[in-house]
Amino acid sequence: MLLVGWEVGVRLSDLPAFVLPPPSQVARTAVEVAPLLGDDVATTLTEAGLGLLVGAVVGLLLAVLIAAFPLVSDTVYPLVTLTQTVPTVVLAPLLILWAGFGLLPKVVLVALTAFFPVLVASVTAMAAVDAEHAEMVAGLGGTRRHQFWLVQLPASVPGALGGLRVAATYAIGAAVVAEYLAGQSGLGVFVQRSRKGYEVDQILVAVALVAGLTGLLFLLVDGLARLATPWQRPSSTPRPGRTPA
Amino acid sequence: MRHGPMTSSLSTEAPPTSTPALEVAGLTVTFPGAREVVALQDVDLQVRVGEFVAVVGPSGCGKSTLLRVLAGLTPAGARVSGRTTVGPATAWMPQRDGLLPWRRALPNALVGARIAGQDRATADARARELFDEFGLTGFERAWTHELSGGMRQRLALLRTCLPGRPVLLLDEPFGALDAITRRRMNAWLAGVDLAGHGRAVVLVTHDVDEALLLADRVVVLSDRPGRVVLDLRVPRDGTDGARRSLLEALDPEGTS
Ligand SMILES: Nc1ncnc2c1ncn2[C@@H]1O[C@H](COP(=O)(O)OP(=O)(O)OP(=O)(O)O)[C@@H](O)[C@H]1O
Ligand SMILES: [Mg+2]
Repeated sequence: MLLVGWEVGVRLSDLPAFVLPPPSQVARTAVEVAPLLGDDVATTLTEAGLGLLVGAVVGLLLAVLIAAFPLVSDTVYPLVTLTQTVPTVVLAPLLILWAGFGLLPKVVLVALTAFFPVLVASVTAMAAVDAEHAEMVAGLGGTRRHQFWLVQLPASVPGALGGLRVAATYAIGAAVVAEYLAGQSGLGVFVQRSRKGYEVDQILVAVALVAGLTGLLFLLVDGLARLATPWQRPSSTPRPGRTPA
Repeated sequence: MRHGPMTSSLSTEAPPTSTPALEVAGLTVTFPGAREVVALQDVDLQVRVGEFVAVVGPSGCGKSTLLRVLAGLTPAGARVSGRTTVGPATAWMPQRDGLLPWRRALPNALVGARIAGQDRATADARARELFDEFGLTGFERAWTHELSGGMRQRLALLRTCLPGRPVLLLDEPFGALDAITRRRMNAWLAGVDLAGHGRAVVLVTHDVDEALLLADRVVVLSDRPGRVVLDLRVPRDGTDGARRSLLEALDPEGTS
């Protein structure tokens, strides 16, 4: 529907193709450039995947430290929040300066965007441990160490995975931005090249690709999250069609 | 909130002994707030090694609160005064089962054993035996939400008994069971002689007959604030008289 409206609109209004090409042309371009995009997509996916992994691990470890040592919580948490206020555009050149043009600065950048939602969600989940469970462990003679391994850590898993889902939606975008700013390969580089050539149809192909890849990554993480929390039952849906008399 | 070490050596002598396993004297627990609640007032209770004590009383009179204090857990936000001497090695079963939803049934049963630092393989084998005795066979790999209320309670009891702690504190372990399963679990409890071998049990229950069947002594708490209104040794022969005095103590207005 939207696509038809767009196609008709562009045709009727005589917009030049370098401003807004009709979807039919975008589709044609997509087919043309598809064989060339394999490497770029692979690069971007590698950066996003690695960055997400590193971010998740760092976020979870930091959350554990914060839960275990209240002092860490007071000093580290504000600092960590501060890192989130620095825009990528500022951070990317610095990272390139320190880590070169290769894979590393992109992974770091993705990790920097990804760890925050994981951290916040895990910290919240660990702080909200069910008193019933903590008491049960204490009532059997459990120490703080037992509390951590038996209750706090497992209780934080669903929260951490929720954060990871959020992070997954940012990861591809963050990787593309990093490539756009300074990269040799990847979708961001493809966008950069297309922009210089005023090839709007190619940019639109990239946009569609980023959206599609983000969707795929989200589904993947979502599936992994379900596998990792098999005890969570699917919420029961109320049966329709039953109205009280 | 454990006050001092337990003085008794938990020997394996047969009961009765006069060594106290745990003791509270003049225990008062208050929950402050806009509507201040005095849950327990001036409660004295001594449980000797080898004794099985049942605590009965109307709902809301402070039975769970008493058990928490005995377990060394300060009820959240409560003011506790009085002298409490509790052992370091108690195993407490909460009224709500406290099962961990991220563990299957068998790993849940092993939580206590793991905390006690027991050998994994031994505990595992013992747990499987108890699954059979508790009528839970076939549910070793079930998630907790797949168990019925009564099954959850039996699993929680199993978890509490497995580590072999010398003092067991059981808060209404059979509240959700039907009469027949309840009788079977009672028979099991009576049969294993939990209070033997230098151990002690405190059981909270609403069921006077259960108390008389299982316990050596029954303590009756009054309506809130809970005080001890009767501390009755259960006679070995014929419990009819004991039953009558218990019901009288529970219902002083005497409607019957
Ligand atoms: N954490 C708490 N905060 C405030 N009030 C509490 C708290 N825990 C218990 N109380 C109050 O203390 C009183 C005794 O509660 P408790 O759970 O010990 O009763 P109980 O005898 O175990 O009742 P039941 O037989 O229904 O389980 C109740 O009036 C309750 O409202
Ligand atoms: Mg209670």
